[in-house]
Amino acid sequence: MISLLILAPLILLAALGAVWKARPVHAALLLALTLSLGGALYIALGAGFLGLVQFMVYVGAVAVLIVFALLITRPRDETEEIARRPKSVLPGLLCTLPLVAVLLYAVGRNVAEPAAEAKELPIERIGELLFTTHAPAVLAVAVLLTAVMLGAALFAREPKSFGVRRLASALGATEELGSPQSADKPAPAFQNPPTTK
Amino acid sequence: MTLLLAQAEEPSLWSPEWLPLLPQRLVVDLLTNWGAPDWLVSLAATGVAAGVVLGVFMTAFALLSLIERKTLARVQNRIGPNRAGPFGILQPVADGIKMLTKEDIVPAKAEKLLHLLAPILIVVPAILALGVIPYGREWTPVPMELGLLFFFAVGSLTELSVFMAGWASGSKFPMLGAMRAISQMVSYELPLVLSAIAVIMVSGTLSLPDIVNQQGGFHLGFLPAWNILTPWGLVGGLVFFVASIAEANRCPFDLPEGESEIVAGHMTEYSGFKYALFFMGEYLGLFAISGLGVTLFLGGWQAPLPGLDFVPSWIWFFGKLAAIIFFFLWIRATYPRLRMDQLMRFGWLGLIPVSLLTIPAAGIWTLLWRADHGLLAWVITVPLLLVPYAIMTVLFNKRLVRANRTYRFAES
Repeated sequence: MISLLILAPLILLAALGAVWKARPVHAALLLALTLSLGGALYIALGAGFLGLVQFMVYVGAVAVLIVFALLITRPRDETEEIARRPKSVLPGLLCTLPLVAVLLYAVGRNVAEPAAEAKELPIERIGELLFTTHAPAVLAVAVLLTAVMLGAALFAREPKSFGVRRLASALGATEELGSPQSADKPAPAFQNPPTTK
Repeated sequence: MTLLLAQAEEPSLWSPEWLPLLPQRLVVDLLTNWGAPDWLVSLAATGVAAGVVLGVFMTAFALLSLIERKTLARVQNRIGPNRAGPFGILQPVADGIKMLTKEDIVPAKAEKLLHLLAPILIVVPAILALGVIPYGREWTPVPMELGLLFFFAVGSLTELSVFMAGWASGSKFPMLGAMRAISQMVSYELPLVLSAIAVIMVSGTLSLPDIVNQQGGFHLGFLPAWNILTPWGLVGGLVFFVASIAEANRCPFDLPEGESEIVAGHMTEYSGFKYALFFMGEYLGLFAISGLGVTLFLGGWQAPLPGLDFVPSWIWFFGKLAAIIFFFLWIRATYPRLRMDQLMRFGWLGLIPVSLLTIPAAGIWTLLWRADHGLLAWVITVPLLLVPYAIMTVLFNKRLVRANRTYRFAES
């Protein structure tokens, strides 16, 4: 309970900052802070595995990918973002309020039964559940992620033609397979630029 | 998360096996004699344990910074540092004084807060990761049930702090270095974790002390039952150590700070003690990741031959760690730096497929080994790993996979 009282305001503050900061990089770093505080909360509540996975996946991978995407896409200027802000407040609130309502309803329903002594599920049990009962869900997520990855790899290259070769080169496997000159002919070695007299 | 404090079975206080735990035991004894409450005793015990680890590795860091220069000098037929003290052994002290007294420069365009936070956040994960490694039979600073997961979770924070350093400096070279560092760390963390998964599968636990305990004993009376002496373990271990060189940003994977290309990468705009913190974070991270490699594949603190148990177990651990780190130095002195596209290709097309292969191999190995078909396990897993490796080698050599250098802006 104490950990919740300490962590919850911090999480809220970090999340608000992540939404409010005009600079995309600041927002992304605050998002990473929010996610890691969430992980800390899981650990404090006795779900060590979940907390550590949250750190590893969300802070280590997702936040890093967001930051990386920000770097290579050159997001817009922050003055523009600030100018856009008054317009986006109302739709944002409209989207948030139903969520808050649902959460309040859910919490209000469950708060009656006292939270039992938080007992950590042994890691073997978690693995067993993931690979037996919830295996279809895990597989579905895996297929979805693979599809997303293939799609992203294809989108990253301009779609001139489509086929096995295109797919292979889009995945970065065989750069030269698609281009005609390098399959039979060895690539030219590095040549020194012509020296000027 | 359950923290199990080391339960002393009251052997003699001064036995060499228990030497690293001596401060902790003295403090615990003292506090319990004073009638301190339990939470205070456990807090003090953890604090002292952390202090011991920090003391050991800070000393090792100082020594390694000298040994590295000396070794590199020896390989390059030079003498190396020899001015400060006999054989230059006071060089780390001189370096420390220099770092502390240098002016701390913050660029005008820097983000002040992030610029300050980045070097701190790079040291913290490294120290945290050092806490869960079992250094000896009785010496695990924080024995944790989910130790391996904790190690990787904490290690993934490093990427964000490198990014913070690069971005907050507000100049070109740090930014380029940070981008290189992030893409490299994300790519090489995958083979690192995948090869560790094989170990998790075989030992059936995430607790690092348990993983070491399972590597005890000997086959045929003399062959230690370490993971690296199995087919999947050999492949996984090699992948792990190569990937850990990349994770530690060391040559030949030191592109993020390649001094001939981008000055010093994300550390360019740092000076004085902040720079020293980056340096420290890098070396502590190197200790942590090689220590994990020793734990997972080289049998941790287990003695290499039967009958050598009279040597304290932590000496074996640190001996193995020193051997691995010397090997890294040797590699640094031998190989030139990779190019960015070579780095990515090697990671994604070389290490990741190989480390994926270790997982089915480890599964088959465990099943057959448990059913007492040891020979069959060798017969099946060795071709399973060797044939794809041979095919990959042929593909790489036929230039089907290897890329040639492309000039996007220089040629035209």
